[in-house]
Amino acid sequence: MNAPVLSRNWPLLGHLQELRKRPIELFWRVRDECGEIGEVNFAGNRVVLLVGPEAQEAFFRATDEQLDQAAAYPFMTPVFGRGVVFDATPEQRKQGLRNQSLRDSFMRGHAEVIARETERMMAKLGDAGELDLLDFFSELTIYTSSSCLIGRRFREELTPEYFKVFYELEKGTDALAYVNPYLPLPVFRERDRARRRMVELLTGVFERRARAGHVEGEKRELFDVLLSILNPDGSPRFPVDQITGMFISMMFAGHHTTSGTAAWTLIELLRNPEFGERVVAELDALYADGREVSHQALREIPELENAIKEALRLHPPLILLMRKVVHDFHYKDWVVPAGKLVGVSPAVSNRLPECFPEPERYDPDRYAEGREEDAQLFAWIPFGAGRHRCVGASFAMIQLKAIFSTLLREFSFELAQPRESYRNDHSKMVVQLQKPCAVRYRRRDPLAEAR
Amino acid sequence: MKLRVDMDLCQGHAACVQEAPDLFALDPATNQVVLKNASPDESQRAEAKRAIRYCPTRALRLEE
Repeated sequence: MNAPVLSRNWPLLGHLQELRKRPIELFWRVRDECGEIGEVNFAGNRVVLLVGPEAQEAFFRATDEQLDQAAAYPFMTPVFGRGVVFDATPEQRKQGLRNQSLRDSFMRGHAEVIARETERMMAKLGDAGELDLLDFFSELTIYTSSSCLIGRRFREELTPEYFKVFYELEKGTDALAYVNPYLPLPVFRERDRARRRMVELLTGVFERRARAGHVEGEKRELFDVLLSILNPDGSPRFPVDQITGMFISMMFAGHHTTSGTAAWTLIELLRNPEFGERVVAELDALYADGREVSHQALREIPELENAIKEALRLHPPLILLMRKVVHDFHYKDWVVPAGKLVGVSPAVSNRLPECFPEPERYDPDRYAEGREEDAQLFAWIPFGAGRHRCVGASFAMIQLKAIFSTLLREFSFELAQPRESYRNDHSKMVVQLQKPCAVRYRRRDPLAEAR
Repeated sequence: MKLRVDMDLCQGHAACVQEAPDLFALDPATNQVVLKNASPDESQRAEAKRAIRYCPTRALRLEE
């Protein structure tokens, strides 16, 4: 039988306006009204949501031949450009994990870069003041992800304008793309303007690279390689527009996700000071012997890791994961016919009361030995699960550990707004922190702290 | 004891190969893990456990 359709399914747009205004409430409504399976309608795109560890396991275990990821995110196509997909084919993915920058052997170098980038950002702060979490972590992570995922020389070409343009691109992911991603609306016009500006900026980078002459050996970075490949007639194989799309897609997955998680980890540690104090004490003790961040970030930092995991559980950067059904998908007595989409919401799953006792409570101790609530592989899903689980998950954890190892030993922070005023902006498919989101900071004084 | 791999979960990170090279290898054709020895003996228990613990996708299990 078919999955039940959720109530308030309006003509034409279906649940699209609810998705654009209150997406998480919409997904909870599916669970409350329909149970573990229910259909929502995004302007004619039928999405069958699966809720609960058992139904989600069926989703995550399905093969690529049955459930296709690449076709599920139409709002990303105009951001990356044609010919660049949100997710590579299974074959490309395998190659990618093996050949590129996410290999384990690169992680130590990455941790070093991240610590240095955090120091560069800190150098701009002075001794005390107020900072905007969205701006601060967006800028920091544009540098770290471009440096680690694309190349260090490439990163040195970047200015603060990049994170602003990137932010505009991320804001262009309005769910109205389910109607048509090219509607003549301000939000899409701004997205396209941001993308053109990104192409301009990168064209400048590539021209400077070309003038600097041929680069050999180890110093060669991805864009040197891409630019050097020529067609038989001598013209470049990859036009700048396409390379821009590749770079945007490479940075995209690691940018707003890490930036948001860093911000939420800090917010939650400030809202729950007993955990904040435990993390700072842990870092002070670990680094008391003068060891390097690049060394420790690859190793266990339990209090900090648990604090990050708990921020991820409560505030997963992606709130809806989707696949296109290629062959009829069966779950128990239900069938989702080919052509529809199926979806899972990490925002709902991570707070299911049957999986996470007191689900609304920020409690990093849930991951301590003996409880290990993240061992519920198909319920604790900030990174998804199964074969499409975020391949950057380890990198993300190392990155966050390196950032906080650097930041929290140098500065102390406090909330600059009422504690409930920090929230996410859910009006776009790419979730971002809602402004204002300020915190106050002060350079730590070890002598004063000892008194 | 018996080692089990959930192939739906393995993404080829090869953490297990680093922790226990006598027990695990990476199949270059599929970029997934292969068991070199599915029934490790008692002396290999510690490395088997380390491999299970450090698998980023939690794809490994030990059955007694």
